Amino acid sequence: MSMSTQPLTPEIVSQEGNAMVLSMGPQHPSTHGVLQIMLEIEGESVVKAEPEIGYLHTGIEKTAESLFWSQAQTVIERMDYLAPSSNALCYALAVEKLLGITDRIPERAQNVRVLLMELTRIASHCVWLGTHGIDLGAISVFFYCFDLRENVLDMQEATGGARMHPNYVRVGGLNGDLPAGYLDKLDAFIEKFPGRMRDLRGLLQANPIFQDRTIDVGILSVEEAIQWGVTGPSLRGSGVAYDVRKAFPYIGYDTYEFDVPTRTEGDAYARFLVRLDEMEQSHRIIKQARERLKKPGTVLLDDPKIVAPPKETIALSMEALIHHFKIVSEGFRVPPGDVYQSVEGPRGELGYYIVSNGENRPYRVRTRPPSMYNLQALKGIAPGNFIADLVVMIGSLDPVFGEVDR
Amino acid sequence: MPSTQTPPLAGAAIDPPSLRPSINDAIVERIEPSALRARLTALKAEGYTMLLDLGAVDYPERTPRFDVVYHLLNVFKPGRVRLLCGVDGSQPTLPSVMDLWKSADWAEREVFDLFGIVFEGHPDLRRIQLPYNWEGHPLRKDYPTRGAAKERSPRPAFANKMNVQAGTPPSGRTLEALQEQIKRAREADGK
Repeated sequence: MSMSTQPLTPEIVSQEGNAMVLSMGPQHPSTHGVLQIMLEIEGESVVKAEPEIGYLHTGIEKTAESLFWSQAQTVIERMDYLAPSSNALCYALAVEKLLGITDRIPERAQNVRVLLMELTRIASHCVWLGTHGIDLGAISVFFYCFDLRENVLDMQEATGGARMHPNYVRVGGLNGDLPAGYLDKLDAFIEKFPGRMRDLRGLLQANPIFQDRTIDVGILSVEEAIQWGVTGPSLRGSGVAYDVRKAFPYIGYDTYEFDVPTRTEGDAYARFLVRLDEMEQSHRIIKQARERLKKPGTVLLDDPKIVAPPKETIALSMEALIHHFKIVSEGFRVPPGDVYQSVEGPRGELGYYIVSNGENRPYRVRTRPPSMYNLQALKGIAPGNFIADLVVMIGSLDPVFGEVDR
Repeated sequence: MPSTQTPPLAGAAIDPPSLRPSINDAIVERIEPSALRARLTALKAEGYTMLLDLGAVDYPERTPRFDVVYHLLNVFKPGRVRLLCGVDGSQPTLPSVMDLWKSADWAEREVFDLFGIVFEGHPDLRRIQLPYNWEGHPLRKDYPTRGAAKERSPRPAFANKMNVQAGTPPSGRTLEALQEQIKRAREADGK
């Protein structure tokens, strides 16, 4: 931990007891973004930790209110920049529910969505594992992780043209079928993954330094985890097998075979193991989705009131031209109502509470950000630990600040 | 093109949950602020042990003006409850639920920050997403999406900020008291 090299002026020394106040971040490399933690410390021990967030607040929820339903998805995808597809999908599912078209989404589109969700989970966990490793001094893990992530980003680039935010999932299905060559890349990825997981496990799982740093660090009991609203791998590391994919199935997750890995220890090492197991389960789901993709089919809902007709038809059909013009110039309208839809993102239960007043723009989009609630638990688990362990705890809670601050 | 204005409300007041309950996989209830805490306590005892989220919606032309939305979850026997609580617009206050759920801490601070709804009994109700000296509550519908360019002043200095925290503010702090505190911190900062 780097301490300030400036002399300790009375301004930054608290007047109570021996406790000293130290600001960690927001430019600290191990805070995974722009997190500032106000620490009250006694020697090396943390007495109180108060995370200060908001440095990355971009007003996405407010922005979304003045965009069309389809445009809003573009900014919403940018919340959790490590798992863009899960944001886009969750939003699309919520809007589809409001439109009442959930049952009419083509099967192939749903299968591809499952594929995207699991790929994005692996890619996101790769960043988590790589940076978590670096925090603890295991540099080489990072390169293995980012190599694997590259393969996923290449596939994302193929679907939407952009590596980070492909905007491929749309309300009503997908923006076009999978491009040529995608499935070959996917097959290569499926082939490569088990070996790479063995490497990753080999590098860290039995590594005595890594174990020393993570076992019994940042213990989150079941009661505490529920109190703080922790979801996702962090909750499952404490022994609760709650997974939105199983509890409230969407896009056909109930037809896939997979397990929900849990651990009971609740420490950073347990969360590490849960995430690794989860990546392997994602691989299992991806293989099943790959099988289903052998069957061709449409990937976009055929409803010109919601989805613009294919570009080719515009020159041939007056109807198509009008519908296309309408969708592009004023978007589609969504019946009034409110809906809560959630998905199992890489960090936990990602939800959108959306209110529509019948217009072509969302009236209110409220995010249920899993990172924010997970990070909040830091206040509960940090006191009594060393500052150096704080880095482990932040890493093991895996916050993404685009989503915490929005 | 996206308009720079917040889109106008379509005619009469809207009351979403009663309109189309069929699309919700949750139990949806509307509740009065006076009965809120009792209902939440009862639901918690029923097994909805996690406060999943707490957000708000602004309906400027409706009375009560705000809806504060509580999402509860039972993690062991999957089930959801959504409570909507109307809050008056002139002096929006609600009792805090931080003693029931720790997760309400940041959620309530965020609703306070972006909507200006005061949660009475919250031990540390201050802005969370926006700078401490921000004026207004952006997620209100009357807050413009664009405005005149304004110089953004820095956050209060480190020491002042910590004093704000170290003072362990009494519970039930009002919005005015909070603003006063921020003002004092800002003045001290200016010296």
